[in-house]
Amino acid sequence: MAASIIEMIVFPGFVFLGVLGMIFEYVDRILYARLQNRKGPPWFQPFADFIKLAAKEDIVPREADSVMFKVTPLLAATATVVASFYIPLWGPAALHSFAGDAVVVIYLLTIPTMSFFLAGWYSTSLYSTVGAVRTITQLFAYEVPLFLVILAPGILAKTWSLSEMAAFYSAHPLLCLSNVVGFVVAIVALQGKLERIPFDIPEAETEIVAGTFTEYSGRLLVLFRLAISIETVVGAALISAVFLPFGYGLGAAWGFVVFIVKIAFVMVILAVFKTSVARLRIEQMVNFCWKYVAPAAVLQLFISLILSAFVG
Amino acid sequence: MGLIKSLVTWSRVKSPWVIHFNTGACNACDIEIVASITPKFDLERFGVQLKGTPRHADVLLCSGPVTRQIESRLKRVYEQMSNPKFVVAIGTCACSGGVFNGCYNVKGGIDTVIPVSAYIPGCPVRPEAIIDGVVKLLGSLKNPAAAPKLPITIDPAGVLEKGA
Ligand code: SF4
Repeated sequence: MAASIIEMIVFPGFVFLGVLGMIFEYVDRILYARLQNRKGPPWFQPFADFIKLAAKEDIVPREADSVMFKVTPLLAATATVVASFYIPLWGPAALHSFAGDAVVVIYLLTIPTMSFFLAGWYSTSLYSTVGAVRTITQLFAYEVPLFLVILAPGILAKTWSLSEMAAFYSAHPLLCLSNVVGFVVAIVALQGKLERIPFDIPEAETEIVAGTFTEYSGRLLVLFRLAISIETVVGAALISAVFLPFGYGLGAAWGFVVFIVKIAFVMVILAVFKTSVARLRIEQMVNFCWKYVAPAAVLQLFISLILSAFVG
Repeated sequence: MGLIKSLVTWSRVKSPWVIHFNTGACNACDIEIVASITPKFDLERFGVQLKGTPRHADVLLCSGPVTRQIESRLKRVYEQMSNPKFVVAIGTCACSGGVFNGCYNVKGGIDTVIPVSAYIPGCPVRPEAIIDGVVKLLGSLKNPAAAPKLPITIDPAGVLEKGA
């Protein structure tokens, strides 16, 4: 009991993932700034933002459903932390694992998106409602390809447990090459899941103010920001566990270094992607996902199916 | 307690999120505000971010005189911001009504409607003056004893002294 509370709160729970998330938020922001030829924020910027928001007044609009308004940020942050327990971080074995935890992780990573939707919906302001509807529309576009490509490597490894997948691919590193298509699809889908440019349609600040988060302030907003930072790290960890299963079995210290390098690698790709494109409209986004991303995911599925006939 | 308090003050100084509200400006001041958040000046160096919604913002940048029509909206935007909040009047019009003073449809400067923490005159203000004003406002938070009393006035060209 005590051990699971420590797991949840300190390591690798809220505190550890939150700090890691904010460090990577800084990495993302400085890369974005440097790629735009700016100097960028100082290293402590995400921490300063965090403390400042946490010390501000919370406003719950009179029209909003005050229970849902307050519960959804907590729900989002908790779900991402729980998801991290099932993802192999620096060893091939995750903290907890069971057959089929890949499916659970993907579902857990859907909860933040659902809570963004609920948060926007129960804020009842016009902009939040539009943002909420866009969030859910976008979910249908990227979720299916993401699901397919995270599970496709599992077909080859004959398991749907992330830990066993990581163990299988570190035993057969060459087979990773068959998952390149899936890696690209997963990066695109993750960009959509994290609602970053070009898929930041739900919070498009030039159109709908701040989308789902329009009515949020103070501590509730900080929880949402924390949830997004943690989700970034957990998403990058998921991608690196499935598609880049290297460096396990080096021991805890080196394993941790490799883990950080892998996440940083995914973050660099995400940041370059974010800088080089502009925001799409919602229907362009849905079109793009169903026309190109989903077929690519199906292609990955076929590659894995055909290969699995030969391997093992 | 003292440590937490100084940490919070530090974070407020390091992370001012601003929102821009045109209360009836001729648009030149707005263009200068927008210019000051472009990559050339890169205000993210100081942690400044432009926010779309008053709920997220700490500093309300107002440009232009308060027209009678915008008065109630300005009050509402101000009330939607969460505490602690600051208002910066940008441009001579926002400070005093400027050239529009005495018009039938103009109420006057921003301070006729909501409390103002810093005045930045100029017609239009230069981005440097805006940055200077916001930095001075934040500096006054950090060290209330040494800093000039609120409201702060930025007067790079000495316009106010000469009484132009
Ligand atoms: S101060 Fe000058 S530039 Fe600014 S709004 Fe007034 S008239 Fe326009």
